[in-house]
Order: sequence, then structure tokens, then C-alpha cells
Amino acid sequence: MDFALSTYYPIFLFLLVVVGFAVSALVATHLLGPSRRTPVKQMPYESGMDPIGDARQHFDVKFYLIAILFLVFDVELLFLYPWAAMYPWASGPGEPSSYLPGEFQSLVFWEVLVFLLSVVVAYIYAWRRGVFRWR
Amino acid sequence: MGALQGTCAYLILAERKISAWAQDRIGPNRVGPWGLLQPIADGIKFLLKEEIIPSHVDKLFYIVGPAIALSTALLAFSVVPFGPTTPPPVLLDRRTDEMVEKSRIPLAAEEREHILSLSFIIQTPKMYQDSPRGRVWPQTETEEAYILAADRAYSNAKDIDSYEDRLEAYNSAYNRSPKDYNLGILENIQYVIAPHIDIGIVFNFAIGSLAVYGIVLGGWSSNNKYSMLGALRSSAQLISYEIPLGMSVLGVMLVSGSLNLETIIDYQVKHGWNILYQPLAALLFVTSVFAECNRLPFDLPEAEQELIGGYHTEYSAMKFALFFLGEYTHMITTSFLVVVLFFGGWEVLPWLGLPGGLGGVVVKLAVFAFKMCLFIVFYMLVRWTVPRFRFDQLMGLTWKVLLPLALVNVVCVIFVKQFQLTEWLLLPLSLGMLIFIAALTLYMPRQRSRAPVRFSGHVASGPPAYVHDEAALD
Repeated sequence: MDFALSTYYPIFLFLLVVVGFAVSALVATHLLGPSRRTPVKQMPYESGMDPIGDARQHFDVKFYLIAILFLVFDVELLFLYPWAAMYPWASGPGEPSSYLPGEFQSLVFWEVLVFLLSVVVAYIYAWRRGVFRWR
Repeated sequence: MGALQGTCAYLILAERKISAWAQDRIGPNRVGPWGLLQPIADGIKFLLKEEIIPSHVDKLFYIVGPAIALSTALLAFSVVPFGPTTPPPVLLDRRTDEMVEKSRIPLAAEEREHILSLSFIIQTPKMYQDSPRGRVWPQTETEEAYILAADRAYSNAKDIDSYEDRLEAYNSAYNRSPKDYNLGILENIQYVIAPHIDIGIVFNFAIGSLAVYGIVLGGWSSNNKYSMLGALRSSAQLISYEIPLGMSVLGVMLVSGSLNLETIIDYQVKHGWNILYQPLAALLFVTSVFAECNRLPFDLPEAEQELIGGYHTEYSAMKFALFFLGEYTHMITTSFLVVVLFFGGWEVLPWLGLPGGLGGVVVKLAVFAFKMCLFIVFYMLVRWTVPRFRFDQLMGLTWKVLLPLALVNVVCVIFVKQFQLTEWLLLPLSLGMLIFIAALTLYMPRQRSRAPVRFSGHVASGPPAYVHDEAALD
């Protein structure tokens, strides 16, 4: 399928409208609302307690691990999407036939299975290493 | 977009009414009859309330955060077709220039050159003189005739259905006659903000996942411990649930062979709804969508009892409203997606076919909106039915249960498609997996946690009783 940037013009236009709405709403509330500042209002709200220390402290390394694993699986998904869209499917009335020539079909099938298997190996490894255990 | 904002506002009212009903209260009833004007009053209050920007925040990100949250949610909506856009994408010819080149047509050199320059995507004849794709449309009847002749020659040579054959089959399958294509205004309106986006659902996921930025920026820049915790939890949750979300859709893509949302609906109109074939994928998708929207069983990022407001603790006035609107827009978008992917889009009931003609368009729109509303109500009922998870349970659910299930589902679909098995085989497979996993969770031995959590002040008495259950999902 050929790519035409003009297909995406409505999205750009919509983006402009959306950002315009967000910005104008923020500006409007800034102009319309009252502004009476007191020291208490300016404090972080932590259920009425005076905050102790800064909020930006160390946090659990688990979050990094999750982020890295997410990258692995999300990139895998990105590889699979084009394949899924090109995959041979039954041609019914009015449906176009497959993109893939017949001789490639079983090759691609096994290749994808091997690909999924490699991901599963990584997944099992991560599980055994306790990445999914939250304490 | 205005309609979307209005829907959001009234969804909030609906949410409050349903909450009230669930808790045996009355709910908002002061502004207007049955509180119907409440959303408008809320909007005005959001505008007129004092906007507090605390002194300790990172001002730029603090302001940008809610704007990102709202714009990404709204932008993700732009590919959702809420009505039939014509022409049906199924009809687009998928041949390349090269393939046309190979078809031996007896044409003069310059004529042939001309046809090739059209780059050849045939749409329904005489339908759109100015196609959104611009350059691909045959401009005159002569050109159209040439293209159709080329197509016929090519199809005969290759022994495949020609474009006209497919068009006829399509028309008969949909109960439409060619004259329907020349119908009036309603059929010619594009019921989608950005039509003909072939990557449809990928675009939706891509933009939707940008919403994490809004939340993380908002939470981090607030410089408040509760906001920070909320943002952290939220980012971990959103990215984790994105994987089962995307993977459950993979099964749908495989059977319908397209990322375009309309093509997926067309497929379901012909073959029956996807929920009938892949109930497991539908369940995974709905579960992940709940988490993506921060709806109640998964609303850890803003668990009121633990984190005050979560990432938007420090926000007030319109900035808070933007977060709120973004969340509800996300709800609407995802309900539409569930309907499109698994519940046959604008088809009334499976195998009923689509009503044609002018009235048909209205019926389709109404059916689609009705299904969407059903899902919204479902969202709200679940909120008052299922209690909130603990964070370790939340992460365990996606990584240890949903992800393997989604993988197995995809593999099943691949096998069924590859060996040309009937798609009904997917239904028992799906249900079997569901029962298997249910049995597994019921009978799994409850192991003790390997390293008991120690709370300060409780060291001598050991971990509290509920910690023993913690490893149930391990």
C-alpha cells in the first residue's frame, strides 16, 4: 500500500485544534480565576502534615526492570504487527487474496514461531530471575 | 470534538448517578431536572476556581502535564470510525505498479504510461472524483475504462477475480446495489476524523501510550510524595498492560488481515463477531483496557485511601479538569475500540447483515453509539463490583497471567490460519484455556513468601497475616 502524507493531514489539523483547546482552557482559567496566594496554599499537600524532605527520593529498581521488559515485549509486538497484517487469510467474496507468494507462507509461519519461542525464553528467564515478584 | 467534550461531561454525571444508585443514594439532583445541568455548572466552576500553582513545582512540566494528558487522549480518538466511511477499504485494489506493468495490455505507449502514473488503486467507479488519496483516482471515464480493461486482462492472465467480479461479490454479500453508492449526503459524510488511515489501531495504541507522559510529568513535577508514587505506579501499570492489550489485538488482526478498523468491522460483518471466535482475546483486551484507563479494579495510581489523588494531588481548577477529561475521553475511545474489534462495530446482531440506504446509516450510527454506551455502563458497574487490587497482584496479573494467555491465544490463531482450519476451532480453544487458567488459580498450592516482609515495629511478631497470601500469584 503506498504511503501518502496527505492522508494524515486531518490528524495534523485535529492536533492543532486539540492543543489549541488545551492551551486556551489553561489560559482562560488563569485569567478568570481569582488568585489569592497564601503560604499554606503554596505548600505540598500531604494530608495536612508538613512535608519532610524532598519528594524526589530513591525508588525501587523494579520499576526500571519493568520498563526494560516492556521495551522487549513492545518491540516484539511492533515486529508482529506488520506480519499480522500481511499474513495470508482466507479469501472470501470481495476480499483480496494473500500478499505472500505461496512458497514463503510456511517459511514465514515457522520463522514467526521461532521468533515467539525466543521471546518466551526471555520471558521464562525474567520470571526465574524474579523480575515479576513484588515485595 | 465539542461533542466528545459534551459526552465526557455527561459521562461524569452518569458516573455519579450510577455510583449513587449503587450506594443507594440520590446523586446530583439540584442543577436542572435530575441534575442534567450539573456538567455545565461543573465546567463553569472549573473555569472560575482559583488556579493554585504551588511554589515547589517544576512550573513548565506542571503546566504541560495535563495538556499532554488531554491532547493524547483526544488525538487517539481520531482514527475511530463511528460510522461507515465510504468507500469500503476492502475494495481497494492492492496491486503495485510492477504487477500492472506485467499485465500485457494492448495499449498505446503514452496511454499505458498514463495509467501507470495513476499508481493504480481502484476505488468504486464514479464514486469519488476527488479521492482523499488524490493522485490515484482515474479522472475521466476513458481512464476508468482503460484501468478496468487492464485489470481484466491481468486477472484473466493470472486466473484471479478481476476488480469487477470482486465488486459484484461484495455488493451481493452486503445486499447493496451499485446505485447505493451514488446516494445522498449521509452516505458521503466521512464519519471519522481521519479517514483511510491504514495503520488505524497501531496509531491508536501509539498515541494512547503517550498519555503516560502526561501522567509522569504531572506526578514528577508536582514534587509531592503522593504524586510521585502515583506517577510511578501509573507508568509501571500502563506500560505493563499495554503488552497484553496489543497482543490480544494481534489475534483479531490475523483473522481480519488488516490494521484498519473499518476493514476489521467489514470482516466481522461477513464472518460473525470476533467475540464468538476469540472470547479469550476479548476478555484480555477488556481487562487491559480497564487498567489502561485507570478504572477501578486497577486504579492504583489514584487510590484515594492511599495516595490522596495520586498524580493529580497538586492540581486544581482547569488543570485538574484536563486530566479528568482526558481520562473519560480515553474511556470513550476504548469502549469504541472494544465494540469495533470484538462486537461487530455497527452491525445490529451477528449475521444480520447491514441495513442499506439512507436510513441504514442512521441505524448504524445508533447501534454503534448504543453498544458504546453499554460498555461505558459496564465500566461503571464494574467499578462498584470489584474491589481494588494490591500493587503486586496488579503486576502479577499482567505479567504472569494475561501475557502468557495472550501469547497462547496468538499461537492458536496462527495455527488455525496456517493450516486453514475452521475458525470455530478457536472458540473451544479459547474457552478451554480460560477454564484451565481458572482451575490453575483455584488449585495452585499457596506457597509461603520466601522472604517475609518486615514492617518496622512488627519485627518481633513476624509478617502480618495477609502477607501469607501474597505468593498466590507467584
